[in-house]
Amino acid sequence: MKALRNIASYILIALAAALASALAIKAVGSDLPKAALGFFRGAFGSTYGVSEVLVRATPLILAGLGVSIGFSSGFFNIGAEGQIYMGAAAGTAVGLVLPGLPALLLLPLALLAGAAAGGLWSAVPGFLKARFGLSETINTIMFNYIAVNVIGILVRTVLKDPNYPLPMSPELPEAMSLPILAQGTRLHAGLIVALLAALVVYFLMRETKIGFSMRAVGKNPRAARVAGISVYGNVLLASFLSGALAGTAGIGEVAGLHHKLLEGISPGFGYLAIIVSLLGRNEPAGIVVSSLGIAALQVGAMSMQRQAGVPTSISWIVMGLIVLLILARKRVFRFLLPEAGEEGQ
Amino acid sequence: MALLSMRNIRKSFAGTPANDDVSLEVDAGEIHALLGENGAGKTTLMNILYGIYAADSGVVAWKGAELGPHEPREAIERGIGMVHQHFMLVPTLSVSKNITLGLKSEGHPFPNRRRLDRIILDISRGYGLDLDPSAKVSSLSVGEQQRVEIMKLLYRRAELLILDEPTAVLTPVESESLFGILRRIREEGRSVILITHRIPEVLSVADRITVLRDGKLVATMRAGGTSAEELSRLMIGRELERVQRSAREETRRAGGNAQAPGLRLDGVDLIQHGNAKLRKINLEIPPGEILGIAGVDGNGQRELAECILGLRRPSSGSILFAGIRVDDLGVARRKRLGLAFVPDDRHRDALLLEMDLSDNYLLETLDLPAFSRCGIVSRRKVRLATEAAIAAYGIRTTGPAAQARLLSGGNQQKLILARGLAREPAVIVASQPTRGLDIGAAEFVRGRLLESRSRGSSILLISADLDEVLALSDRIAVMYRGSLCEPMENCPDIDMTRIGLLMAGQRSPGEA
Amino acid sequence: MTDPSFVAAVTAFAAAAVRMATPLALAGLGETYSERSGILNIGLEAIMLCGAFAGFIVANLSGNLALGILAAAAAGLTVSLIHAFLSVACGADQTIAGLALNFLASGITSYAFLIRFGKTTKLAQCPVVPPLPIPVLRDIPFFGAVLFRNNIFVYAAFVLVAASAILFRRSEWGTSLDAVGENPRAADSAGIDVARARYAAAAANGLLGGLAGACLTLGSLGFFMENVTSGRGYIALVVVILGRRKPLGVLFAALLLGAADALQFRAQTMGIDIPSQVFIMFPYAATVLVLLFSIGRSSEPSALGQSFDRSRR
Repeated sequence: MKALRNIASYILIALAAALASALAIKAVGSDLPKAALGFFRGAFGSTYGVSEVLVRATPLILAGLGVSIGFSSGFFNIGAEGQIYMGAAAGTAVGLVLPGLPALLLLPLALLAGAAAGGLWSAVPGFLKARFGLSETINTIMFNYIAVNVIGILVRTVLKDPNYPLPMSPELPEAMSLPILAQGTRLHAGLIVALLAALVVYFLMRETKIGFSMRAVGKNPRAARVAGISVYGNVLLASFLSGALAGTAGIGEVAGLHHKLLEGISPGFGYLAIIVSLLGRNEPAGIVVSSLGIAALQVGAMSMQRQAGVPTSISWIVMGLIVLLILARKRVFRFLLPEAGEEGQ
Repeated sequence: MALLSMRNIRKSFAGTPANDDVSLEVDAGEIHALLGENGAGKTTLMNILYGIYAADSGVVAWKGAELGPHEPREAIERGIGMVHQHFMLVPTLSVSKNITLGLKSEGHPFPNRRRLDRIILDISRGYGLDLDPSAKVSSLSVGEQQRVEIMKLLYRRAELLILDEPTAVLTPVESESLFGILRRIREEGRSVILITHRIPEVLSVADRITVLRDGKLVATMRAGGTSAEELSRLMIGRELERVQRSAREETRRAGGNAQAPGLRLDGVDLIQHGNAKLRKINLEIPPGEILGIAGVDGNGQRELAECILGLRRPSSGSILFAGIRVDDLGVARRKRLGLAFVPDDRHRDALLLEMDLSDNYLLETLDLPAFSRCGIVSRRKVRLATEAAIAAYGIRTTGPAAQARLLSGGNQQKLILARGLAREPAVIVASQPTRGLDIGAAEFVRGRLLESRSRGSSILLISADLDEVLALSDRIAVMYRGSLCEPMENCPDIDMTRIGLLMAGQRSPGEA
Repeated sequence: MTDPSFVAAVTAFAAAAVRMATPLALAGLGETYSERSGILNIGLEAIMLCGAFAGFIVANLSGNLALGILAAAAAGLTVSLIHAFLSVACGADQTIAGLALNFLASGITSYAFLIRFGKTTKLAQCPVVPPLPIPVLRDIPFFGAVLFRNNIFVYAAFVLVAASAILFRRSEWGTSLDAVGENPRAADSAGIDVARARYAAAAANGLLGGLAGACLTLGSLGFFMENVTSGRGYIALVVVILGRRKPLGVLFAALLLGAADALQFRAQTMGIDIPSQVFIMFPYAATVLVLLFSIGRSSEPSALGQSFDRSRR
């Protein structure tokens, strides 16, 4: 019975979001059916549309997985955005420094470099938390901004393409491109990497000693300590793994989509990843689903703009609204859920 | 007319009576001690007076007028104040601001702080409290912070001050200071209720004493008309259940005494923030023996357990498991050497409440090769083991997938025992193992400890429940203010008076 | 050293620093109220953005600056109270709530802007608050030009900082607020209404943050564009940390960062060949260093970020 009430409250939230969207579309003066059609056609109506959704979902899945590992272990990783950029930069550097390598070597190497860079970038705030108890909230946000600016400096100096006036790196070697999965689309093998990562993360967190230790530390660090599990080591490890996945998302975008390093490769993926993880309840399967959902939302919104003139910022409104309603769910829907809740969201 | 009169107070929690027909009377200008062990009902009675709980039945009369259920705020307004064991202070604010917190002082909202400081200084000097109003509370010692708490009550013109185990956090010197302050308060015509388990203090400063035991009123008398022996007898009682003693035969492991003791502590000291929490602890437990440590909570038991576990490092001395020094080993290594630990705070220290029983079982058995190979955990094996434990220990639950939070205290403790004993540990430290459990669960837990004992484990039992200590231990030692007395053999005619006196802080007559 | 053109350049630089510091100081001051009560509001960006937009659009539609400023304050207040509701009444994670509000605000302001103005190339404008030089004081050498020839936002910032400093240090409200942020249980047992104090602090945060947003659109820019605040809300969080949650400290931190901002602009116009990102990075790196120095000496309110549940005894 309780489960049904919970589902009902989520349905109410979805309805509220739909209602808000409808109101917003009307407010812009667009035709509601036309907008709705544009939305669904854009995201689901054609092969290209679906492929675009998958393309957008790829970095979200990876970064979302990273954020979820952090959450599960008590490390609030708001720094995924910066880790994405550092991963992109490191992978790019590898590609530019070792252009002659065959794809079989270069691509994995670049991906590893991206993961390592993202991991290290995250491990610094992680270390500060594990060793000194410094809250990671502000630290990770600061590291985001530092990373974005570091990339800005890199693409204007060390990594800059000398032939172009614009701040970006030279085109990366062909050997470093993630192969395209479907002809005529932008869908690249990064999706495979992302799905594999989901499986690995699932396995890691559920079936291994390390995963269990991290989760125990996240749930009750004191009990974990009393049981002999190292809180310090696990927080540090969790922060590293979290960043490594985000870093992979970054290098994935470079190797699969842009084929060079430039500013703006991440339009807020790192922050979106937090919502992805929240909606996906920190579970890999849920994260894949919510990534697809949010990607569809964004792709659909872009199509809705082309077809019916609805500004794309509607997707941010819907996302923000949904998260706020989820946060307020137990209070706002008190009539529906009379018992004081014990579990989280 | 008595200042305070509490008559026939009854209060039960979940069917268990915490106060069973208790009466108390306090006059103006009196220091009244409320004496008893853990769980005697002292704090509950005072919480009723203060307004944190409402009595189930009985009458509370303050200055002759009946006082119904109320909020603590109302108690303070009427002149009843309480200093709890956990201080309610804001460390970053000054003493003065803490004292006036929540009050609308003259000139609100911009009070003349200097004038307030002067008033506080005057009051404080008058009672010998010696406080600097402008000092930040975080810079004060625990004893000084306690004085700020007392000052808060005096500033609000409290006529009755209730102090809950105030000397638990004080050194002997600071305790003496405190008593001086209490005497000054009494001279002013105000009254003090002192909740304590320490007999020397009671005899030193109280006018009258009320002794509670197991929720019941045992006696009330003038301090001058009694002795330490009588008080300890009343506090602990003579009619104890010795039911399980017969079950405890000499089943020590054959020829076991030639081996190294399972657990040994040599001269262990622990000094924290200038306080000696543990003083020169020496103990030795051979295999197959239970050493029971009696004593009221707060005398260093927790610190002792944490040092043996490896959570804290002693300031000096060493700890040995079966002759091996473990001082430099972490918790995990010590557990692998055969240590099992049952903590006193289940929810905080032993359980992952939101995870299921399998995961909780795994928490302590992560290293067992049976459960994990090459870092991969066999969830199936863990589930099977959990199921077996549920069956063997009679844990009432829907299965290994049930959330730990849903189990009753007794069943949670059974799970903790099951996983702790899974490795057949050589050393077991059990801290308040039956606290909060119903009789059935408590007996089960005790039975399991005795079983481990016959299998040859060295068991350190820390318990504030003297019955339990007497029922299970081969030898008994008493802990008081961080010191451990020489363990005594637990035989049928053991000197109860001596134990009582040791628990309450006084050596037996003739000893220093 | 007294070369007139040099002095003029330094004066202009200092004046620019003060102007650029003002929104940071206002927003930082607001967040200081909030954090002292125990609420960490990452959604400062949302407050500023909504304030900037509301101020802009009301001033644009009505032509009335005072109305615009009022609207900005009201918008900021609304956003902040939503965050407070989520934090206090719903016990939600304050950081996630703040992030979600940032998304929502970004979306709503962009959306509403497009509704009203569509995609035109002609920049929609609003009136700008004129500078208000203070007679006599404005003629003081150097300081006159830097401090006393500014608009009301700047003056308001200084006055509010001073008033807040007095409020925190000497008033009982300030003391109660600190107690709520440090040890809500102690505050509660002393009779203070923890929830009400937190809502009040959030209200102050919203009003000041809304003003900070208005300072951007109505005080200097005269127009609005998508994400006009461009991360200043996060920098304001930095200002709060650097200023150690004290009004005067926040003011100085804001001036420091305003100077860095001004320096960055000068450097670009002077054609110095360092990427501007080096300057932009400065406040963030500085924050991390400050946090490092606070190891062992925790200076944040002990209950920061935690919801208070009275029923847990």
